[in-house]
Amino acid sequence: MTGKRRMIRKWGMTLVGLVMLVAGPAMAAPKQIVADLSNSRVDITSSYHGTELLLFGAYEGMPGDDIILVVQGPATDIIQRRKAKRAGIWVNVETKVWQEAPSFYHVFATDSLPSIADEEALSNATVSPLAGGLTFIADRDDAANGHGGGEKPASSGPAIAGDPEQQNNLRRNMEANGLWQVLPSSIVTQQDMLFRASLSLPSNIPTGDYSVRVLHFRDGVALSERTTDMNVRKAGLSALIYRFAHDYSALYGIFAIIFAVASGWLAAVAFRRK
Amino acid sequence: MYIYLPIAEVSMHIGIIIGLGGGVGFLSGLFGVGGGFLMTPLLIFFGIPPAVAVSTEANQIVASSVSGVLAHMRRGNVDFKMGAILMIGGVIGSTLGVALFSFLRDIGQIDLVIQLSYVVFLGIIGALMLTESLRTIIRSRKPGAVRGKLHQHNWLHGLPLKMRFRRSKLYISAILPLGIGAFVGILAAIMGVGGGFIMVPAMIYLLGMPTSVVVGTSLFQIIFVTANVTLLQSIQTQTVDFLLAGLLLFGAVVGAQFGSRAGALLRGEQLRGLLALLVLAVCLKIGYDLVVRPEDLLSVELRR
Repeated sequence: MTGKRRMIRKWGMTLVGLVMLVAGPAMAAPKQIVADLSNSRVDITSSYHGTELLLFGAYEGMPGDDIILVVQGPATDIIQRRKAKRAGIWVNVETKVWQEAPSFYHVFATDSLPSIADEEALSNATVSPLAGGLTFIADRDDAANGHGGGEKPASSGPAIAGDPEQQNNLRRNMEANGLWQVLPSSIVTQQDMLFRASLSLPSNIPTGDYSVRVLHFRDGVALSERTTDMNVRKAGLSALIYRFAHDYSALYGIFAIIFAVASGWLAAVAFRRK
Repeated sequence: MYIYLPIAEVSMHIGIIIGLGGGVGFLSGLFGVGGGFLMTPLLIFFGIPPAVAVSTEANQIVASSVSGVLAHMRRGNVDFKMGAILMIGGVIGSTLGVALFSFLRDIGQIDLVIQLSYVVFLGIIGALMLTESLRTIIRSRKPGAVRGKLHQHNWLHGLPLKMRFRRSKLYISAILPLGIGAFVGILAAIMGVGGGFIMVPAMIYLLGMPTSVVVGTSLFQIIFVTANVTLLQSIQTQTVDFLLAGLLLFGAVVGAQFGSRAGALLRGEQLRGLLALLVLAVCLKIGYDLVVRPEDLLSVELRR
């Protein structure tokens, strides 16, 4: 693992050097920022157990400037349930469906977020999983019927639904499973010109199209922003099995049964004469 | 080495998967049970989503039942006619069970129903087995013990649609095995088990089948019930993880061989007593999880 990390770092620094050369002329324009990922495609193969990507780039900075990096996954419905004690046992009693919420939201920064900018500036720059606006339906039946998700509530509520406590509960739940995260002081800068961050992606990462946004902050104000795309997808054997199971589900089931019958029969034959 | 399970969407160490297969396989070989009642809770404990655990375990039980039934067929210990009636009931029951499972999952209560079914049925069966085996152990120490009648006649034998089951030496209503098959089928689909631990006592005490054909016939019908669950879950919920089932299977096949060899060293009632303790332990663990306050009362799940 350390070997791999070292390799990534070494390779990353070479790339950063290259970016410097390429980005040289661009940096003459004011408040420019350029960034790239060591790999814009994450393949979830059978041996996938989380991975590390290197994000690097160049910006026209001054001492005291900050960089914030937001890795955001595809929007999805988040089903939140609350347990309560009923007849002596803990039972789910309430369901809330947060609609079109980011399935993945990792924030990296050169410092802690409050010391970079105030809440309003961060919110204006949409540096919060809730900043894009979030609504929920707290109806049990909607949770039951809304398979596939996507339907909006009849009345359009406020941009961010719920009181701060409900929002914090969602945050806490999503941070507990590692899908939302804020990592302060996780970006390294050099000479107010170069930056790099090591993005470690967890093993339970949702698949789909991601955006990686880089923001340049000075005195609590976002000066410039750059977005790079990233794609997370199943690949190899795991993609094959997944596609088979979803596209030809009946055939998949029959195949699974035949495989089980054959291996059960083989096992019986193999161990018959001991 | 970690392996990413494509349907469960969880990365798991391959040693844990094969170890689970081997350990549960050993116990199932030792006690002559399918082991679903151990494997499904263990898979959930290791972070496999409950729906995937139940469906995948059904797929694995198909294999272990096939390999088990072959040995019983060679000895002629399968009542195919009875097995077919139980199977019809079982296919109907498990179809209902899969539908019920999807419904409960959608309203967010599947975990609770799985846990409650485990506590109730493992509790009843475990307690019955434990008292029975203790009684046998105590009785075997007293000389001159009398054996009871093969089976009693009661109102159940007055039902219509009577059929003759030669291999089981029975002349009973087909409604009875159909009903038992259906009931166990529902449980099998919801609990991710073959249901042998309920089927076998039901066959002995309710149907009055001779013990020699009970296990073989139970295994025979379990193949069809679990195959039905595998197929229906594949079509409706896509939760059968073929890779996980294959790896578990590999461990289980080897483990079962060692288990059955170890089982030959112990007496029947001792084995049943130990199995009863194991069943009760699983029941208590799951029951404890239900009554103890969860760390966080709120939980989230992404909709797929």
